[in-house]
Amino acid sequence: MLFSAAFVWMLLATLWRLLEWARTPSPLPIPLAPAPRTRLAVVGRLLLEFFLFRSLARANPTTWLASMAFHYGLLLILLVHLRLLFVQLPLWLLPFIRISGWASVLTVAGLSILLARRVWVDRLRYISAPSDYLHLLLLLGIVLSGVALKRLWPADLYAVGMFLRGALTFDPQTLPAQAGLWLHLGLVLLLVVIFPISKLLHGAGILFSPSFNQRDPHA
Amino acid sequence: MNTNGTQAQAVKAPVVGRYRVIPLIEEGATANQRSTVARAEVQESLGLPGALVADWHDRAIERLGQLVQERRGLRVFLDNCTRCGACTDKCHYFLGTHDPKNMPVARQDLLRSVYRRYFTFAGKYFPWLVGARDLDRSMLEDWYTYFHQCSECRRCTVFCPKGIDTSEVTMAGREILASVGMGQQYSQEIIGKVKHIGNNLGMKAPALADVLENLEEDILEDTGLAIRLPLDDASADMLVVTPSADFFAEPHVDGLIGYAKVLHQAGIRWTFSSEASEAANFGLFTGHHEHMRDIATRVRRAAIDLGVSRIVIGECGHAWRVAYSFLDSLVGPMDFLDPAHPRVEHICEVTHQLWRSGVIELDPQGNAGKIVTFHDSCNVARGASMGERADGQFTLPRELLAASVPKLVDMSGDTVRQKTFCCGGGGGLLNDEMMDVRVKGSLPRAQALKAVVDSDQVTHLAAICAICKTQLSGVLPLHELSEVEVTSLHHLVGDALVLS
Repeated sequence: MLFSAAFVWMLLATLWRLLEWARTPSPLPIPLAPAPRTRLAVVGRLLLEFFLFRSLARANPTTWLASMAFHYGLLLILLVHLRLLFVQLPLWLLPFIRISGWASVLTVAGLSILLARRVWVDRLRYISAPSDYLHLLLLLGIVLSGVALKRLWPADLYAVGMFLRGALTFDPQTLPAQAGLWLHLGLVLLLVVIFPISKLLHGAGILFSPSFNQRDPHA
Repeated sequence: MNTNGTQAQAVKAPVVGRYRVIPLIEEGATANQRSTVARAEVQESLGLPGALVADWHDRAIERLGQLVQERRGLRVFLDNCTRCGACTDKCHYFLGTHDPKNMPVARQDLLRSVYRRYFTFAGKYFPWLVGARDLDRSMLEDWYTYFHQCSECRRCTVFCPKGIDTSEVTMAGREILASVGMGQQYSQEIIGKVKHIGNNLGMKAPALADVLENLEEDILEDTGLAIRLPLDDASADMLVVTPSADFFAEPHVDGLIGYAKVLHQAGIRWTFSSEASEAANFGLFTGHHEHMRDIATRVRRAAIDLGVSRIVIGECGHAWRVAYSFLDSLVGPMDFLDPAHPRVEHICEVTHQLWRSGVIELDPQGNAGKIVTFHDSCNVARGASMGERADGQFTLPRELLAASVPKLVDMSGDTVRQKTFCCGGGGGLLNDEMMDVRVKGSLPRAQALKAVVDSDQVTHLAAICAICKTQLSGVLPLHELSEVEVTSLHHLVGDALVLS
């Protein structure tokens, strides 16, 4: 039941946050010039920033590489988790499942570099709040406990799938009593709860940034 | 080390040779470099409190709350930073001063930490966890100090993966400070002058007419031609609005003569206006939209009163951003303009068009021996455009220069065009008490300039912004670059122009 509530919270709170951004007026055009001159070009700029982190690539190659590895590694891992939502394993997921081990490596490597920068680079240390470290540690904890569930403490995937499908359809099922599983899912629960009220929502924020999403005022 | 100039004793310029070295942070390095707080009568003439009000805390929080509801940019920027650090080595003031609060993210965090404390769930209940801070007196002082060590140049925005624009945060911070009685003397006094007299200098119409008459005589002596500098000429088709520094300061005034030569040669009937004798709009710097609108309104009113069909802005960086990007939203529509020139134009656009269509002719021999580099001004580069191309603000001035001088050289790619470094004096910092920060902030520009002086023997740096020209001609000697002459783009164009 906790899980059902958490997912509903995440959806509603995220939606609320986006609506708040959307209904705040933009009195003056403040795109970062040179600004796109067509709507299509605006979409192009947003896609580049959203999927390829273009500005970050300009700024710092190490951070960019680590961020790309972590975000896309995590995306692959999430994709593989879709298997839990289906009673029958869909065939198109097979190739992704095959590389999911590498996905974990990418994610852990990316997160570790980001964490190391925060600890070692004096400028980063200066600007970091406890939550900045904790977000990274939380993500690392989730991925590492997930890897452990796969390699060290095999879980009953069928039962986990039942539980997850139950949670998403408001039909509570019992979760197998296994410490590793509870740890992994507990951390995920925490992430889901803080997602909409923390900096983790920055992906959506990119799309709302006037620097990126406005056109040249005279185009 | 540097002993030339009167400022040099007080100000130690950083060594130019440390190009591209990212400094280690030095906490509090420029904490004592404070812009002068506005005097009571200056604040009051703008309808703002003359001194820090007793309930400044509540009023500052209330104003912050209003601003995040009024400006989507500000709200998204405050919500959206992940402290990834991409911006930390991109600000010229940080590179020059080493003060960590001059890192863009740290500057934003001065406001963001307070925003989080009072307006977000995490900050209200777990302030220690997310770096949320109470607004206390020391935070207020930090706001004042460090929001006046930002030139609002937006270079950090180029590198921010979330598109966070520090200038919007700085403007909001300054706006809140002014609203509780802590405006900045330099900017507020200038806003008062331009609102009540017509220009930043407080120069009244008869004085301006005198200045222009004298300049006409100078031009006649130099060229043998009766080139006019008309004021309030009701028969004109074109109103030229230029920064008032162009009327008297060096090297600005040679640029002004350049505009006059070009317009004379093209046979355009044009005029200055005594009502709108100022292109600059310091309302942009203080973040006060109402002041920005009031100042912009003068331009529209003067244009309608004089019955012109074209408005042209002279060489002024932030004026061009306001004119190009904000004028329609602030005081538009500008529907009285000639449909062939439906928006306010930049003097470079006018000259470029005349040159391209063969109306005027440029001969580089007029500038024989000069090797020139072009300094992109931040507000033009990142806040506006020119011509019909998205990057016209980079290509048009360079094409004009290439046609006007024997050799044009670009500085290093990460210091020009969109990534240009601020001159170090923009955004309301061009005053004497900020000299130390200004000199240090000009370091990255000086380093890039030094590199082309060494490699290509550059003799002139051309700019299209009054602040850049004043700042750079003042600080370059402190960086041991006194051999480089700072000049107006239209000075070079004027000297290359074939007059008849």
